[in-house]
Amino acid sequence: MDLENKHKDNEAKSGIFNLPKLPFNFPKLPIKLPKPPPPPTHLGDVELPKTLMYLLPIGGLFTLAFVGAIASFIITAWWGQPIPVLGFEQTFDQPINFPHTVHASTKQLDYKDADGNVMVGLGTDCTFCHRTVNKNTAAGANAYIPPVNFCANCHGVIGSEDNVQLNILRDAAGIIGEDGTSPINWRRVHRLPDHVRFVHEPHIRYLSANPEHIKGETDGVTTGPSAVCSTCHGNVASMEKVYQVEPLKMRQCVDCHRDNGAPTDCATCHH
Amino acid sequence: MTTDVEKFGTRNWGMIADLDKCTGCQACVLACQAENNIPINTQDRVERARSISWIRVERYWEGDFPDTKARFIPIMCQHCENAPCEPVCPVYASYHNSEGLNVQVYNRCVGTRYCANACPYIVRFFNYWDPVWPESLRNHLNPDVTIRSRGIMEKCSFCIQRINRTSRKAKSEGRELEDGEIQTACSAACGTHGIVFGDLNDPDSRVSKLKNNKRAFTLLEQFGTDPNVIYLAKVDPHKKGSEEGHH
Ligand code: HEC
Ligand code: HEC
Ligand code: HEC
Ligand code: HEC
Ligand code: HEC
Repeated sequence: MDLENKHKDNEAKSGIFNLPKLPFNFPKLPIKLPKPPPPPTHLGDVELPKTLMYLLPIGGLFTLAFVGAIASFIITAWWGQPIPVLGFEQTFDQPINFPHTVHASTKQLDYKDADGNVMVGLGTDCTFCHRTVNKNTAAGANAYIPPVNFCANCHGVIGSEDNVQLNILRDAAGIIGEDGTSPINWRRVHRLPDHVRFVHEPHIRYLSANPEHIKGETDGVTTGPSAVCSTCHGNVASMEKVYQVEPLKMRQCVDCHRDNGAPTDCATCHH
Repeated sequence: MTTDVEKFGTRNWGMIADLDKCTGCQACVLACQAENNIPINTQDRVERARSISWIRVERYWEGDFPDTKARFIPIMCQHCENAPCEPVCPVYASYHNSEGLNVQVYNRCVGTRYCANACPYIVRFFNYWDPVWPESLRNHLNPDVTIRSRGIMEKCSFCIQRINRTSRKAKSEGRELEDGEIQTACSAACGTHGIVFGDLNDPDSRVSKLKNNKRAFTLLEQFGTDPNVIYLAKVDPHKKGSEEGHH
């Protein structure tokens, strides 16, 4: 059956195309359009799947825009807060290269102290420096980074006198140099957006009482509050530079809250 | 699975404002402004009726000249049980939580302003500008309260940061909350103790007892909003036929 007859046939069957015939014919285009090339069916000897045949001609700009949108989404999400895959972590150079390993780890390190001996980590409790982390004071919302003088208590005497990093510290504490004391501008690694209120104390209390919910391991002290930090911060005691391990997005917070019977009301975290 | 309500009990926060004790001193307004990081209302903003004040003291006149009396009434979000602002929000930024609070989730808000239009008490405020503070006030901001950016709605939260903080404290000390332990900024600042905050579901709390006072009334009762802020009417010894008589 040729094409025209087929149309007629269809029209007759459906009945909906039975429109009155136009009293004139459409004029024909004065030029002949080139025929589009047929979509490729084979790549070399391999036959391409049918769907590809339709997708290929779309090509060009549309695909570019699509891929571009996905790429920019991933890049902004990455910069907004890093996704801990492929070993990418958010970390910065701090004003002083403060190694958690030396201070908090209890393991043998390959770090050499001032006398040239290989050192075992000091194994300090996390709350020795992060004092308010398990307290419920008004300031307890923050974990507290120790002030310069606190470091200087030890480093006034500990560590070699020509250690560059320690001399930055001693300078800030006013032990060496003439310009008196000045604070160290630590850069924040973990930072929730401004509209979220996080408090450490209830978490440390709960995890200490329910050790089965603790995730991860620590090279540091495994008693007291220090044992629970790995749940959200990973193994900080093994880090030369602190980086964020967990995404700490809302989903993670709420999932854990739901599983452990903690409040999930929006006003718990947003106010 | 236990729900929040089963686990944390059914509190119902409420407030009593005793108009007989209100001197119109505005201390509550100031305390609220400082506690809740409310931007400074410059003259320009007030003139354009775009100032923000979560609690305000309204003055009105009672009686005919020459027997007119100046009266004051503090007005804050009434935390209505049937809040007109809640069903109109298309994104559920305004909702009622299990503790009887009408909560505004700032990061959820998209700034339609429907809620402000629905509210008969005019206690919801829109941020027409990003808040700015002079350099000297930078460090006075309360770290427990989100700073609201431009384009979102805000209102009195019954100082939820204080409620949360005090409940947390009680919990970590392993005890129940005591009545009167939580003070909102305005109730703490009120010089005559005219504002009382507490749990309306606890029959022994001060608010529950004051609620049954015969002077108790709520604002715009005819709308059926069932507010959690209850006012105690002014006692007027000079008024003819006054039930209370001399005071
Ligand atoms: C309990 C005492 C103590 C305190 C407190 C302390 N440290 Fe240390 N720190 C040490 C010891 C011990 C070493 C290893 C010293 C050595 O190299 O001989 C060390 C090493 C260091 C190093 C490594 C230097 C290098 O060679 O790379 C830095 C940097 C440092 N500390 C910074 C700090 C800072 C910053 C603080 C304050 C937050 C601080 N420390 C607080 C005991 C302390
Ligand atoms: C000697 C003092 C000291 C001890 C002990 C210590 N820290 Fe720290 N911590 C610091 C200092 C100083 C910083 C800021 C510098 C930095 O970010 O590296 C810091 C930063 C951090 C941060 C990143 C904070 C941010 O900016 O987001 C975390 C997380 C942290 N510490 C966890 C721990 C844990 C967990 C332990 C116990 C295993 C611990 N710390 C033990 C001094 C200490
Ligand atoms: C429930 C997860 C969780 C646990 C457990 C936890 N942290 Fe954190 N920590 C966070 C989050 C989230 C932040 C970011 C807070 C913010 O931005 O407001 C943070 C921030 C910090 C900071 C940066 C300063 C601050 O307060 O913002 C330090 C230091 C810190 N934590 C130390 C610790 C130590 C030490 C422990 C163990 C005693 C610990 N954390 C346990 C989630 C946790
Ligand atoms: C490991 C599980 C866990 C994670 C992850 C977690 N929480 Fe919690 N959180 C809890 C538990 C359990 C409690 C209740 C503790 C209690 O009071 O008994 C709690 C309590 C809280 C409270 C105090 C609630 C109150 O009683 O007022 C806040 C605020 C909070 N979490 C915020 C957060 C935020 C924000 C995050 C995400 C960064 C987060 N939490 C992640 C387990 C978790
Ligand atoms: C346990 C704590 C917790 C609870 C409960 C919670 N949130 Fe969140 N929420 C967070 C955290 C943490 C973030 C920040 C995530 C990030 O880093 O982007 C967040 C982010 C958000 C954002 C995204 C803002 C943005 O710019 O991406 C919205 C919207 C939001 N929350 C709404 C809600 C609502 C609505 C509820 C109540 C149903 C709620 N949240 C309950 C912790 C919580």
